Amino acid sequence: MTTRERVPGRATARARIATAAPAARRTWRQVRARVVSQRDSGAGFRWLELELPAGFVAPVAGQFVQLLLEFPSPVLLPRPMSVASARRVRGKLRVGFLYAAVGAGTRALSELPPGASVSVTGPLGRGYPLSEPGTPVLIAGGRGVAPLLMAADELARSRRRCEFVFGARTSGLLIGVTEARTRLTRGGSRLHLATDDGSRGFKGDVVGLLAKLAPKLERPLVIHACGPHGMLAAVARWAMANGARAHLAMESVMACGTGVCRGCPLPRSGEARQRVLAEGAAAAALKGNPEWAMCCTDGPVFESRELDWERVE
Amino acid sequence: MSHAAPKRAAIAPDRVDLSVRVGSLTLRNPILTASGTFGYGDEYAHVIDLATIGGVVTKTVTVKPRAGNAPQRVAETASGMLNSIGLENVGLERFRDEKLPRLRELEATVIASIGGETPEELETLLRALGREPGVGAFEVNFSCPNVAAGGARYWADTDRLERTLAQLKPLTDKPLIAKLSPDVTDIRDTARACERGGADALTAVNTFVAMSIDLDGMKSRLGKATGGLSGPAIKPMALARCWEAAGAVKIPVLGSGGIASGRDALEFIAAGATAVQVGTATFVEPGASTRVLAEMRTWLAANGIARVTDLIGAFRAEPAQEATTAAARNGGQR
Repeated sequence: MTTRERVPGRATARARIATAAPAARRTWRQVRARVVSQRDSGAGFRWLELELPAGFVAPVAGQFVQLLLEFPSPVLLPRPMSVASARRVRGKLRVGFLYAAVGAGTRALSELPPGASVSVTGPLGRGYPLSEPGTPVLIAGGRGVAPLLMAADELARSRRRCEFVFGARTSGLLIGVTEARTRLTRGGSRLHLATDDGSRGFKGDVVGLLAKLAPKLERPLVIHACGPHGMLAAVARWAMANGARAHLAMESVMACGTGVCRGCPLPRSGEARQRVLAEGAAAAALKGNPEWAMCCTDGPVFESRELDWERVE
Repeated sequence: MSHAAPKRAAIAPDRVDLSVRVGSLTLRNPILTASGTFGYGDEYAHVIDLATIGGVVTKTVTVKPRAGNAPQRVAETASGMLNSIGLENVGLERFRDEKLPRLRELEATVIASIGGETPEELETLLRALGREPGVGAFEVNFSCPNVAAGGARYWADTDRLERTLAQLKPLTDKPLIAKLSPDVTDIRDTARACERGGADALTAVNTFVAMSIDLDGMKSRLGKATGGLSGPAIKPMALARCWEAAGAVKIPVLGSGGIASGRDALEFIAAGATAVQVGTATFVEPGASTRVLAEMRTWLAANGIARVTDLIGAFRAEPAQEATTAAARNGGQR
């Protein structure tokens, strides 16, 4: 579905792009997956690779799955996990995740040996609209690097280079930076590093580095970002102030992950609220709620103008 | 146990008659989805054949659309889930014009959940929906724990419940099901009030008012101080409320609260429920309701029970147990 038909005049291009991200609605399913491997990625992060049945729709960068431990599990609900890689191996799907074992559920997950099974529901949500025209600038904070490297690979497959900005508090938290450089260089893309303490690359945050790089890049810029919400808010504000578009992958506590429980609201911007109200009046839209977007089905990737960054927690 | 029924020979699973009646509505089997956990039905239609389960209780609809509460809306607790959604819904008009037609296409038995801050709002909803084709029954949500007005506390007033149901009854020829809160002094009082008012059935129970505090920030783990608790954590409590309600009225009771397996469902039926609702389990496993149904059928067949209705209320407390329960209740009131 696009909003092209409903939005007249100059707003058309933007409106079309705003809904151009791949929608996972109604293609998800719950399957049993097998742990292929798990390894430490440094700085307390783990890399998990699962094998899924061939019928599972391949996720795109920015999408997530609901990962559920089998009985007896220390937790009740599944956990949303951002997809960090997806490839076919002998007809089956191999999906990778980068995660930190911080709670009871992820700790139990980190102890699963190869061959163990877990339940996976997905793919869920809307990923990055990577076909959007412009110079792609990918901005990652911390473990946000994983889905963005997947995005860089997807861009490379359509022969597009990107500028990849990777930031962390300190050099030790630039997870997998060596592998990132190899993968990006292979596709003709460039990696730019930033650390808050200046221990590697640009001293400062990713927005500072972005501001420094931007004048050298061909406009328009189209930013795809993943990281802590504070960083994403700063990227969104920079993009809106500098005439760039930015697609930000948000996170939320979730229950169902499929839009049913209404448990993961994010505050819509005034502009988005007005648009939803106008669409609602036309009785054509299914999104409905003018105040809150659902992270799971309206996102998790949102264009900067969709959310009210003052109220994002 | 001395009262245990003699073991009967197993029968073929397809010979088990699972149909039950709720007022004038016949359900093909006793497994329903609980309101708020199954959207408006079509969200799960690609993973569940809605025509195979007993019915779909839709997300509570109010006269005007509601945006719902500010985050956080959900938090996990031990074996349970806290929610403070705040009745987010599309409102009467879009429910009738967009959601109901889709449910008719899916051939689901639809129980439409309606909610109101006043008796008059409920009247408005029933005037609009009461004779809509494709609605098999109405569940009146008298028990939302997460709204400022018209929630569980407001509807805990037995006179108000009775009066309101009497007002609503003439507005539809479909069964009216009153969904009750467990957070009352004695659920038998609210159950009887609904029966007197003309309810055709009850749902026991909605979520329990509950909370969880993040000690680091010294704040609620929800946007509001309290929410409603659901999931396996509440099953034993919900079962007791369901048993009490079923024992107090002659109308059918729909059991709800933490049901995640066929055995869970059968416990509620043994306690007196005519049908049951699967809720939070669907968030864990979207196909939970069909699995619960299959497990229920298997157990009944293995135990030689040809009609699920034969099991309704099969549990009878022994006199000594009954006395203990009564003493505990009196103790609570002293």
